[in-house]
Amino acid sequence: MLRRGFQAAVILGHHGTLPGATHLLPRFNPASAFGSSTESLVSRFCQEMTKSKNYALPNASWGPDMLSLYHEFLEKTKTNGWVRVPSFRSNRDHIQGFKLPLDLSANSDKSDWRLFTRCIEREGQGYEYVIFFQPSEKKSICLFQPGPYLEGVPGFVHGGSLAALIDETFSKTAYLSGEGLLTVNFNIRFKNLIPLGSLAVLNVNVEKIEDQKMYLSCVTQSRDQQTVYAKASGTFLQMHLEEDSSRQ
Amino acid sequence: MLRSCTAGLRSIWALRGRREGAPRLSTDLQPARRLFSTEKVIHKDWALPNPSWSKDLKLLFDQFMKKCEDGSWERLPSYKRRSTQESEDFTTYFLDPKLGEEERLSQAQLFTRGFEDGLGFEYVIFKNNDEKRTVCLFQGGPYLQGVPGLLHGGAMATMIDIALGSCTGGAVMTANLNINFKRPVPLCSVVVINSQLDKLEGRKLFLSCNVRSVDEKTLYSEATGLFIKVDPEKRST
Repeated sequence: MLRRGFQAAVILGHHGTLPGATHLLPRFNPASAFGSSTESLVSRFCQEMTKSKNYALPNASWGPDMLSLYHEFLEKTKTNGWVRVPSFRSNRDHIQGFKLPLDLSANSDKSDWRLFTRCIEREGQGYEYVIFFQPSEKKSICLFQPGPYLEGVPGFVHGGSLAALIDETFSKTAYLSGEGLLTVNFNIRFKNLIPLGSLAVLNVNVEKIEDQKMYLSCVTQSRDQQTVYAKASGTFLQMHLEEDSSRQ
Repeated sequence: MLRSCTAGLRSIWALRGRREGAPRLSTDLQPARRLFSTEKVIHKDWALPNPSWSKDLKLLFDQFMKKCEDGSWERLPSYKRRSTQESEDFTTYFLDPKLGEEERLSQAQLFTRGFEDGLGFEYVIFKNNDEKRTVCLFQGGPYLQGVPGLLHGGAMATMIDIALGSCTGGAVMTANLNINFKRPVPLCSVVVINSQLDKLEGRKLFLSCNVRSVDEKTLYSEATGLFIKVDPEKRST
């Protein structure tokens, strides 16, 4: 009953911002000290702004595999409560009006700073990816099509570039699931190489939230799940973002 | 962009040259095809100072170059594409000759060297052969951001992967990486990654590293890794 209530709220949130009523819903995880419910995080974080370009959309470089799986999940955003997470050039675009905890970072805005996984502008050359989040289960799927600039072993994806995308997917999932912000631990076991240009699917789950830490896992595999490319786990520290009244 | 086009063309010409029965070099012991340019092509060495390098990075670079003078340390050059020998070790192992790789590979380049000066990964690795350890000086540029103002954890993971790999020799693959992040790294700052080979067991290499600030007062992260030597006798299928 609680779960259905959430799903309804998320679907509402996805289509437009809700007024202060969002905070009236009961917290999903009563043990957590972090007050923002998943659905309020989703509605805040996933507003599809018109100002900044949203990279989590198909372009000409997307192969048929990537496109068909994307459309499958797009359908699920209409029926099953999944949320397509917008993706901007900088994470700053997600947190407009909020500031990072003191001492954490330079709060100055540099316009040329870019999110690492959106650093390669040319379509199809670097990271082509989109993340879908399921709030009721605290899990995500990331569809990843790597381009030639991500090469490591000739013809295949650089292990570090995959690690970076897994960390990025963890980071979005952790934030939406409970304000997980900074990576404290990251572990990856590479099993098979991903050929450049092919589709890889990252399945991320929040395993546990305890003592201000979120524990996530990821299995990266081929679409038919016959080949496991890598398994990873990550721990994120939960940190609350405060509203930045000076900027509003 | 022009550079990558011409490099791509060169590699296709080199390929055609070999197919038409060009004389084989004495180093060419394996029957594999050369998919990259021959040694005659001049590759740019990216592990050298450029205008985007901060004062800290240049200072450290000079200190280590001094250490290279007596031969105890050496600077490792770094190219966008692997040397022909390195490529051959991998290509016999992995690439299926039936696939049309030329077009795809002519665009491909090493992930960390695909950025304009100062925007991405600026790094240089110095190796101490006697002690089997390396020091990597790394300056992460504005395109490596995660949380605003901070270096992306994944960019740090990429550099740790590279730094650990630099302690190995020949064709290797990363099997595992485990990283503990202690403190976030401010974007555009310089860090020092000290890596070493802890243990060698057959084809398994166990390595570890730490990431510190230039003054060594801040420990940003610690990591361990397992790398595996590629066996040229076996194909991965």
